[in-house]
Amino acid sequence: MKRQRDASNNRSNTVDTLTDFSLLRLLQIHDSAFPIGSYTHSYGMETYIQEDLIRTKEQLIEFCRTYLFHNLVYGDALIIQDAFHATKSSNKVRLAELDELCGAIKLAKESRDASVNVGKQFIRTVAPLIDSPLLEQWKHKIDKEDVKGHYAVLYGIYSEALGVDVYHAVMTFMYASLSGLVQNAVRAVPFGQNTGVQALNELLIYVEQAAQKVMDLTIDDLSNNALGIELASMKHEFLFSRLFIS
Amino acid sequence: MTQMSKEVKVNHFGKLDMAFEPRRGYTRLVHVYQQPPLKASRELYEGQNPTATVFIMESSGGMVAGDRNEIDIKLAPNSQVRLKQQSALKIYPSHTGELCTQSIHVKLGEGARLEWMPEVTIPFERAKFQVDTSIRMMASSTLIWGEIIAPGREMRGEIFDFQSFRSQYKLYVEDSLIAFDTLHLKPKEMDFSSIGLLEKALYVGSLWIVSPNVDKLNVRDLQEVIYAESDMQASVTKLNDHAIHCRWLSKEQRTLHKEINRMFSHVSNLM
Repeated sequence: MKRQRDASNNRSNTVDTLTDFSLLRLLQIHDSAFPIGSYTHSYGMETYIQEDLIRTKEQLIEFCRTYLFHNLVYGDALIIQDAFHATKSSNKVRLAELDELCGAIKLAKESRDASVNVGKQFIRTVAPLIDSPLLEQWKHKIDKEDVKGHYAVLYGIYSEALGVDVYHAVMTFMYASLSGLVQNAVRAVPFGQNTGVQALNELLIYVEQAAQKVMDLTIDDLSNNALGIELASMKHEFLFSRLFIS
Repeated sequence: MTQMSKEVKVNHFGKLDMAFEPRRGYTRLVHVYQQPPLKASRELYEGQNPTATVFIMESSGGMVAGDRNEIDIKLAPNSQVRLKQQSALKIYPSHTGELCTQSIHVKLGEGARLEWMPEVTIPFERAKFQVDTSIRMMASSTLIWGEIIAPGREMRGEIFDFQSFRSQYKLYVEDSLIAFDTLHLKPKEMDFSSIGLLEKALYVGSLWIVSPNVDKLNVRDLQEVIYAESDMQASVTKLNDHAIHCRWLSKEQRTLHKEINRMFSHVSNLM
């Protein structure tokens, strides 16, 4: 209990009140049945699986931790955070810059394409669910190809429109990313369902830490130190047989 | 040590501005401004080839806490230039805690071509270094750029003993940012041997190829040409229809340097 209170105090400067209704709407987009195609992407993990480097639950957790702390925290999570604030101030120029940045930091073609494809599926799915002029305008810009439509930017716009706070938006995004990876590993390695559940459960504490870390960073901290994952994502394109698109 | 700290250290602020232009069939270095320890050689030519080869020299032997280097390179339309650093860039321990910074700004005009030969940057123990590279080019210009980051003076057993190494590499074509390679290595906070980070590798090699002729290159062919084995991982990816990025993660410097040079000339001959 104490910890919870501390955490909410820490975030008090960024927290809009998280109402039950906005929480439920946030949960819905992270439901595994939400059709944005995350089950088709491994973001390089499949290369490790084929090289037999993810065979145990511990190895899966280690991979996910690196992806979390060295890819998501310093990449998409920072883009989401900035897009969220840019949406608040209706700064469309900034959003366009973020869309460009989001693509530029993803050097591996498949990860970059995945970000755009998931983003486009996301906006198609959420557009009828919410009345947000900015999201509508953004969709128009994507259709006109003025912007690429990266998922992290769209997610930042949408979660701001939902009325959730940026901390929970970032945290649930990272949770859903890891949950997607773990579920994909369960199918591809394969692992038993329980192993997957336990792995994700062990990762939860890191997801919380990662979300807190993001709140202390700004877009100037963008970096990608997960060079192994990036290289694996580049190599994925050339794998002989593949379960996943990325 | 106390004597050392009493010494007033004057920081170096190296500057090198170079502008190139085609004149009478050869590319010439028509403007150069140099402030020590940075210095440029004169242009060298191979036979009738109009490409100017210029060496960038750093006379201080390395950067020390608080030192700055600024390199500014402009290629007028249709210039052809090959730049080589005379030696590896060494970053000395930051005894004062100050950062060494290097910035490199490149501007390529229509049809211009720049080759930046791969050289190694070596952050010594306790070094703090930041390098910002920005390249602005046209869709008609060509860039082949290579670089290598070392973990330290490996021969002395100095491996990831630096304090921080930050590199931000921005590549703009017709004002749109097509690649932003940003690394921020902090050995005290990271276990590089973890899966997904550097794993077994100690050296990072990068090659950037941007040219209207890139569409003639097949990444699948390049992936086959690129040499990878257990001590050296490597791959190729397309940044867009006119840009390719190659990355190496290697346990060893010599084979990496050899490989990146081989790939460099392979691509250079095709472009």
